[in-house]
Amino acid sequence: MTCREFIESAESLSPLQLKLMESKNENLSAHARECSGCGRWMESQRLLGGALQVLRAQTAQREASPNVELAVLQAFRAQGFEPVADVAPHRAAPAAWQLSRFFEVGAYLAVAAALIVGLFLGERMWRDRQAPPAQAQVQKTPAPQAPKLSDDKLPERLRTETAQKSANSAGNTGPIASAKRPQVADAKSVATTIDRQGFVAMMLCDPLICSGEEQVIRMELPGNASTSADGNGNQPVIADVVVGDDGLVRAMRIVNQ
Amino acid sequence: MLTEQTDEQLLTLALDGNEDAFTALYRRRQGPVYRFALHMSGSPQVAEEVTQDVFMFLLQRGRGFDPSRGAVGAYLFGVARNYVRRAMEKSHSEAMMTTPAEDDDPHLVTDFDPVSDIARGQTSRVIWKAVLSLPEHYREAVVLCDLQELSYAEAAEALGCAIGTIRSRLHRAHEMLVRKLQNSAPALAGLSGDAARCLS
Repeated sequence: MTCREFIESAESLSPLQLKLMESKNENLSAHARECSGCGRWMESQRLLGGALQVLRAQTAQREASPNVELAVLQAFRAQGFEPVADVAPHRAAPAAWQLSRFFEVGAYLAVAAALIVGLFLGERMWRDRQAPPAQAQVQKTPAPQAPKLSDDKLPERLRTETAQKSANSAGNTGPIASAKRPQVADAKSVATTIDRQGFVAMMLCDPLICSGEEQVIRMELPGNASTSADGNGNQPVIADVVVGDDGLVRAMRIVNQ
Repeated sequence: MLTEQTDEQLLTLALDGNEDAFTALYRRRQGPVYRFALHMSGSPQVAEEVTQDVFMFLLQRGRGFDPSRGAVGAYLFGVARNYVRRAMEKSHSEAMMTTPAEDDDPHLVTDFDPVSDIARGQTSRVIWKAVLSLPEHYREAVVLCDLQELSYAEAAEALGCAIGTIRSRLHRAHEMLVRKLQNSAPALAGLSGDAARCLS
């Protein structure tokens, strides 16, 4: 047996166990006799074990006095005990467990709320996808308001003629200054409907490109260019024309008819 | 009947209001608890107070005992350890360094050989003084394993640490005890230092 093996086997034992093992394990004793260092250690442990054994034997029978037992039993009797089976679970559970239940319920509520919000948003997205693209486009880019044309912005000749016309036939036409650009809802309606201000949509408008800026231009046409219902062919025709930024005419209306 | 029950069964019955079970548990466990407190503090008064406090604690908080974490005995030692620490903080070194009044103790085992008795008395005083002068965590290991004869696993349960920790604390405590005994009573111990340090 080497010193290392001796230490590994001897140091795992308490001094008292070592004292007992020494007589049984001949290898330990033999090595302790051969090696002076291990022998001294063995001797010190044996003496330490002996001293501890004396102390242990001296106190082995010592106990608490009967007064302690009386005091403890009095405390037991004074304590009102509830049978274990009758204790409600929430009272028997430790506070940490109850706290964890609180957080667990909170987590369930949070998950439920997240699911509801997710369903709501999903339903809205689904509806948006189902909507027609043209309508979506109109919703995204509302039709621009037509600029109000005031009298001072009109050409001088047009303004005087308009004033005369309005004096002659009051009530037939609305004020020129309040002429507004037509509300173009979508390409189809532009091509087929007549809007409230009396504009007539033109067929030249391509639905894909008729969504830009427009402006209203008042034009005066020679009288022989049109045939009026009352046969007054010499009177010039004044028309408001909605022209897009591509130069194409979107709609027009006759002002003095 | 009750003496055949385990500590855990007795504790359950006691907390259910069974006084006989509580008495049986007290009588079974008060000795080790008292001796642990006595060896740790060196004071019979502190040991009695601690014993009473430990069982009062068991009455009030015994439902908190978890059998999966260890035996009732280890649990009681753990509670006693905290009460000893508290008591020693209160009445610090005075109680620590006194040896028990053996002559006044009716429970003490006596030997009729006066020469042997004197020798044993001297030995026990020297070793007890050496044990009491150990740092607390080394003293706990020596008291539980060497004096209470608990296994390393039981001591580890009581102190709430690993078995390897107990082993290393014990080893270190034994070295310190040998050194203290050399210094205090070389003639008694007949010890020499630096043993077992040859690694051939």
